[in-house]
Amino acid sequence: MPYEALDFYDVDSLLTEEERMVRDMVRDFVDKEVIPKIEHACRDGVFPDEWRVALGEMMVLGAPLKGYGCPGLSYTAYGVICRELERGDSGLRSFASVQGSLAMYPIWDFGSEEQKEYYLPKMASGEWVGCFGLTEPDYGSNPGDMITKAEDMGDHYLLNGAKMWITNGTIAQVAIVWAKLDGVIRGFIVEKDDPGFSAPEMKGKHSLKASVTSELVFQDCKIPKNRILPGVKGLRGPFSCLNNARFGISWGAVGAAQACFDSSKDYALSRIQFTHPIASYQLVQNKLSWMLREITKAQLLAYHLGQKKDAGTWIPEHISLAKMNNVDIALEIARVARDIHGANGILDEYCIMRHMANLESVKTYEGTHDIHNLILGRHITGIQAFTRDL
Amino acid sequence: MSIAVLLKQVPDTTAKISISGNRVDENSVSKWSMSPYDEYALEAALKLKESGGGNVVAISAGPARCEKLLRDAAAVGADDLIHIMNDDINNLDSRQLQKLLAAAISKSNSSIVLCGKQAADTNSGSTGPGVAEILGASCMTMVSEVISDGDSYLATRPSASGHEKVSVSAPCVFAFDKGITEMRRPNVRGIMMAKKKQIEVFSATDLGVELGASNVTINSHSPPPEKPPGQRFEGADSVSTVVAKLRDEANVI
Repeated sequence: MPYEALDFYDVDSLLTEEERMVRDMVRDFVDKEVIPKIEHACRDGVFPDEWRVALGEMMVLGAPLKGYGCPGLSYTAYGVICRELERGDSGLRSFASVQGSLAMYPIWDFGSEEQKEYYLPKMASGEWVGCFGLTEPDYGSNPGDMITKAEDMGDHYLLNGAKMWITNGTIAQVAIVWAKLDGVIRGFIVEKDDPGFSAPEMKGKHSLKASVTSELVFQDCKIPKNRILPGVKGLRGPFSCLNNARFGISWGAVGAAQACFDSSKDYALSRIQFTHPIASYQLVQNKLSWMLREITKAQLLAYHLGQKKDAGTWIPEHISLAKMNNVDIALEIARVARDIHGANGILDEYCIMRHMANLESVKTYEGTHDIHNLILGRHITGIQAFTRDL
Repeated sequence: MSIAVLLKQVPDTTAKISISGNRVDENSVSKWSMSPYDEYALEAALKLKESGGGNVVAISAGPARCEKLLRDAAAVGADDLIHIMNDDINNLDSRQLQKLLAAAISKSNSSIVLCGKQAADTNSGSTGPGVAEILGASCMTMVSEVISDGDSYLATRPSASGHEKVSVSAPCVFAFDKGITEMRRPNVRGIMMAKKKQIEVFSATDLGVELGASNVTINSHSPPPEKPPGQRFEGADSVSTVVAKLRDEANVI
């Protein structure tokens, strides 16, 4: 059965014609080049390099950025791209999120003119892959206490420390690394071959198997002085990047949920038990209508947030709500979809268990579900509950 | 030099078709797409342009919804877009439609024309030869590839013993079967340019075509007959019956 994207309220009719054309382009790519290969890629634990090439050819990397060879699309279009990619696989969307929002965006917003001209065209075309080093083994939700540090050695900087859970790390030519210089968090551009830098891949994941996850290790890593991002100091730098990536995830989760719904509907209509399709039983219909309800709400949330992003009337808490809600319902939908698929739901003949396992990561990365609740809690009460003196 | 491509918008091959009042209910078609053989023709036209230069002119006849088809063609590289506006395309007979297309081709100054061998909805297969007849052009059917060869063109088509390569000079119409490469995917730059591209819209009058009356009336459309229900057999005792049916009725063993 060809994929049919659930759009109960016809939310996509609110997109511009250009945004719908971009949607169709990416959906076609996912249908023809991702779905037939994704299970194989997961089994092998690789991100197929031809997807990097295709994303570059479609010109969707760094979608909302303007100039320097970047596409200059709307944030809503960026959301649509994420949704269509994640309908294929969260690992594929992760690649695009990291490249665009976490690696290209900081150069675009905080980089020098020379940095923008040198890096952005190569990254927009997919020729160079970027990664983003913020999280450390002991500092996940609390990046402000990171221990990776940079020292000014006069004619160069010296980086020491380690980053963990870095998507694209091993395949990246460029790493945006956040480190403390004289106690202040600053962004640095580290290149693959810089002395003292290595990016070993982390193996053994049960989730995001078609995505590369790495450690970044800096042992007296020497980088030229012109690789510091001049435009930002403090946590505002990495958090600005994360806002954009989280925005994309709020759309992407809808794609994963749509894929699970589509498969569940088809399966329920064709699976016969007690001489009738299981879709004819009330318990199954209840599950399907719950999925439809939650997906429709998530779509409206994502679309409206896209409009706010494009109009510049958003606050980070808006993004927290959408990321948290949409990933949460997508994961729950994947779990219920597994139920509907019965034993078949665990096979890689269906997308269900893959999306479910992927979404467990998505729920945790880019601000955990709980941390987003605390961000909203602080917004409501004015009291931060991340930490306290014990 | 211009290369014309004739493109028809048809119900997507995955869309459900329903019949209302003895006719296909167009309002219930959820998705319209470019007819697949036309996609091969468009891809071949783009390749011709890349190898030998020229402008690709995409031409489509139909109601306002065809604008999307033309913009999709522009997104993959069509240079000029011509929309023959006609709200009642299904009530034209093939000859009337061919007159409109031929007039638009003449207006575009194209000496070669590429199209699908048949449309995925009506399957009449008459557009290529019919347009060639009106234009006084040669016509090659069932083409899978066209390359330019000096002053002429070399087309690949099936023959009794495999494939034949036929040399032909302009003016010529090439009606495409499945081509050797699928239509390329657009990219964001193409989509952004397509959005800005002007579409020339012509009516029959603008094209100087006197349509006259249709010689053909479609009396009714009907859905394909429903498949008879399958037969179920259970247990080892049924093996000989099943084997007999497979051999004598289904003729598969």
